[in-house]
Amino acid sequence: MLAYIVRRLMLAVLTVWAISVLSFMIIHLPPGDYVTSYIASMSASGSAVSEGEASALREQLGLDKPITIQYVKWMGLMLQGNFGMAMEWGRPVTDVIGDRLTLTMVISVAAIIFTWALALPIGIYSAVYPYSFLDYVFTFVGFIGLAIPGFLLALVVMYVGFAYFGANVGGLFSPDMVEESWSMAKVWDLTKHLPIPAIVLGVSGTAQLIRIMRSNLLDELRKPYVMTARARGLSEYRVIMRYPVRVALNPFVSTIGYLLPYVVSGSIIVSLVLSLPTVGPLLLKALIAQDMFLAGTIVLLLGVMTVIGTFVSDLLLMWVDPRIRLGRQ
Amino acid sequence: MKLMRAVFVLVGLGILGTLAMRSGEAAAQAATPTAAAAQPAKIGSSLIGKLEGPEIILDAKAYPKTFKEAPSLAAQVKAGKLPAVAKRLPETSQLFVVKPLHEIGKYGGNWRRAFTGPADHENGNRINSIDKILTFDYTGTKIIPSLARDWKVSDDGKTTTIFLRKGARWSDGKPLTADDFMFWYNEIYLNKNIVPTPFFEFQINGKDGTMRKIDDYTVAFDFPEPYDFFVYQLAGSTAIGAGFATRGAFQNFGGAYAPAHYLKQFLPKFSSEVAVNKKAKDLGFDSWVSLLKNRYSWALNNELPVMTPWKTVSPINTPTWSMERNPYFWAVDTAGNQLPYIDRITMTLAENTEVANLRAIAGEYDIQERHMGLAKLPVFLENAKKGNYTVHLDPSLNGSDAAIHIGNAYVADPEISRLLKNKDFRHALALGIDRDQLNEAFWLGVGTPGSVAPSPDTIYSPGPEWNKKWAVLDLKQANELLDKVGLTKKDADGYRARTDGKGRLRLEMVTVGGQFVPYTQVGEMIKQQWKKIGIDLDVKELERNLAFTRDNGNENQMITWANDGSEMIFLFPRHALPVDAAEAHMGMDYAKWYSSKGTSGKKPDDPEMLRAFDLFRNAFGMKEEDRIKNGKELWKIIVEQTWSIGTVGQSPAFMGVRIVKNNMGNVPERQVNAQHARTPHTSMPITFYFK
Repeated sequence: MLAYIVRRLMLAVLTVWAISVLSFMIIHLPPGDYVTSYIASMSASGSAVSEGEASALREQLGLDKPITIQYVKWMGLMLQGNFGMAMEWGRPVTDVIGDRLTLTMVISVAAIIFTWALALPIGIYSAVYPYSFLDYVFTFVGFIGLAIPGFLLALVVMYVGFAYFGANVGGLFSPDMVEESWSMAKVWDLTKHLPIPAIVLGVSGTAQLIRIMRSNLLDELRKPYVMTARARGLSEYRVIMRYPVRVALNPFVSTIGYLLPYVVSGSIIVSLVLSLPTVGPLLLKALIAQDMFLAGTIVLLLGVMTVIGTFVSDLLLMWVDPRIRLGRQ
Repeated sequence: MKLMRAVFVLVGLGILGTLAMRSGEAAAQAATPTAAAAQPAKIGSSLIGKLEGPEIILDAKAYPKTFKEAPSLAAQVKAGKLPAVAKRLPETSQLFVVKPLHEIGKYGGNWRRAFTGPADHENGNRINSIDKILTFDYTGTKIIPSLARDWKVSDDGKTTTIFLRKGARWSDGKPLTADDFMFWYNEIYLNKNIVPTPFFEFQINGKDGTMRKIDDYTVAFDFPEPYDFFVYQLAGSTAIGAGFATRGAFQNFGGAYAPAHYLKQFLPKFSSEVAVNKKAKDLGFDSWVSLLKNRYSWALNNELPVMTPWKTVSPINTPTWSMERNPYFWAVDTAGNQLPYIDRITMTLAENTEVANLRAIAGEYDIQERHMGLAKLPVFLENAKKGNYTVHLDPSLNGSDAAIHIGNAYVADPEISRLLKNKDFRHALALGIDRDQLNEAFWLGVGTPGSVAPSPDTIYSPGPEWNKKWAVLDLKQANELLDKVGLTKKDADGYRARTDGKGRLRLEMVTVGGQFVPYTQVGEMIKQQWKKIGIDLDVKELERNLAFTRDNGNENQMITWANDGSEMIFLFPRHALPVDAAEAHMGMDYAKWYSSKGTSGKKPDDPEMLRAFDLFRNAFGMKEEDRIKNGKELWKIIVEQTWSIGTVGQSPAFMGVRIVKNNMGNVPERQVNAQHARTPHTSMPITFYFK
């Protein structure tokens, strides 16, 4: 067991290193560099950067050096716990991400809670009463949820909210609350703004989870051990919840590996449409601006989270499912 | 069970059917605006008002003698936290006095706006641009004093002297003197770690200028050769002239002055390299230069002393960029009220411009001209009453908001390269465009079809006839010209064939999506129009960065981009001539050749381009009158040679759609919309107020 964990840990470190190399390379793949993008964005908004300023900027940011040297410099900084400067922001990368991390996690967790709270009971219901009236309703609604892209739903919800309910357009706070320091009133303001992003972000996931839960549970319910349990006179609730549901939960546990990076990044497109101050739009803008330190660090962070998440879900699976645990021994 | 399923399928189909019908209706409705395109044209032109603005009083005899201040500041004076208003302002004869556009305003209020993130610092810079050394009046044509109270150019043109306002203070109360200029020159500009490459604006023919302190309130800029144009560099949106705040936010250390008393702590010279580097490391920065860059930006650092009317409270890298009044601001109105009237500015983050536009429609912004889309004009007008705002359109001064810049240094395909260098071929393309159709479809009829030449109201305009030259639809002449260049053979579809026998001639136009003007759609319409002259065009939408990088490699045959700023061709030539290697759509190799004085890049083989380069180069040392002659001559060459094809310009597409709440006072009907005027700066936001 211990040897297994140690081996996995070492593999994880190697994977993370590979991710860092890959992410750095990917960010350098598009033509041009941060300065080209800076000139272009200034030109697009009617301002200018002169040639001298551009070359000065390149020199200061080290963009005139070969990519390998830039990578080694970045690595060296990271080993000292310094992730470099976010070029567009003029601040250390850790500060820039840190500012947005908490709110991102709040929104993502709210979306996950919404997804699970809705998907699990509905999935179980649909499996236990397949082809019933409500099953069809849920299936229908679920497919619509799956079919509508999140950003479109976000636009519609935002417009309806603004046009008919006088809600603020986008964002997580009312305009007069944004600047306030944290207080009960601000938390309440956040709570009021949270449902729209949480629902928009959660809808497609919910539909998907309902389908997975339903089909998994249906498979389990047909198995002889369920019949045996029924024959022995166990209550219906106990028969279903105690065994088949636990088994059907396996896929959920294995998706935790993907949830963790999601929690720190949030959804990029939906966050952009709803103007949520989360890490997602930050990553997108960093990629567009070719800000390699910021984008590289976020991509690396996501990679690390995926590695950790997979590791944790492996451990959880062993804990949840005795078959895996015993199978190893 | 089976029956149930069938019922559900039917219900589902029914709903889908209804949805489909709805979308059909929507499509029908969407089609109407094109049919009624003529109508918005009328609405649009009625939204373009009279060009007006506040007047700057230059006669010291007319200056007020007693002064009033905002209630919030009066309270601080009473509490002993601030000196009295007269002590905070410059000496009476040295004041900046503004006569507001309509009336004396009232103090107070919070100006709500949108911004899109840390790269959007120009949003706040442009409101605060009064800290430029010199500036332009509200017409955008005449240079007037700003931070400096006056200036003088020596007869030989080699020295420009500026006179500072005695008693003007930084926002922390320390006086602004010539030492702040010399500090910038000696410790910032001449420090190669901070400014590795000298500013082009601070050089004449590649020779460096110098700065000299004459007395505490007088600074001279000296040049080895005549540089009469330097006054314009001080007034324009340049590295040396755009002001300390703006150039700090650009993180390029420009601006020609800086608060010495504050910045010394970040420079190695005044402690030690080890000490400043340690300070930087402790704060998470990789070196002292990075830290200085951060501390030098008024948008990022709310402790930085500034000369602007508002100073940052909550920095630009947070969800709200907010500013409050600078208690030491050095301007008053004609009644002696210290400006600005408005207490605070709060910009809320919109992660994308769609959100900003929707919020503007909801009436959540008080004055917003940045990020507002012309295509949304009908929606803005529809909701104007509900949102309690008025829409103003501010047309720009440049000739074309979608200019087709032709890659003169393109070489990849010899046949196309040869054609692009042929003036007749370029003329044919220009004559094959129906600009009225483009104007109706994409500018709602409010633009002006024409060549790349600037508005006839601008100083370098060679005359209105040049706005139409080679810029009208003339299929007959276009076809004749194409025949003349040898493209006589046509294929079965009516497209002209290449002369080298490699099939159909296909041109490629690069466009960039997501800009103020829908370049790709404009390109697609031109593709249809060029079909009539037998030219086959591929419109290729590229990501902005990729498009610019291909420009740098001379890989674009044509790229559609605005020619904004070109109305002041000597201040901002890059959209009119390939002379600036930072951005050159008409031939990066030529721009490199020009700016390196022939040591790199490629010499243009077009003698007219060389003549244009000479006219351009010589203008900087000329007196105003001769320079204007050169400017006119330049525009004649540019239009005649058609190195860029103009389509529709002088339109409000570029930051010219202005949403103003009805309770805002002293807001002009129309303001000059131009880069050098730092719109809305010339309308003096310090005089805006809440009625």
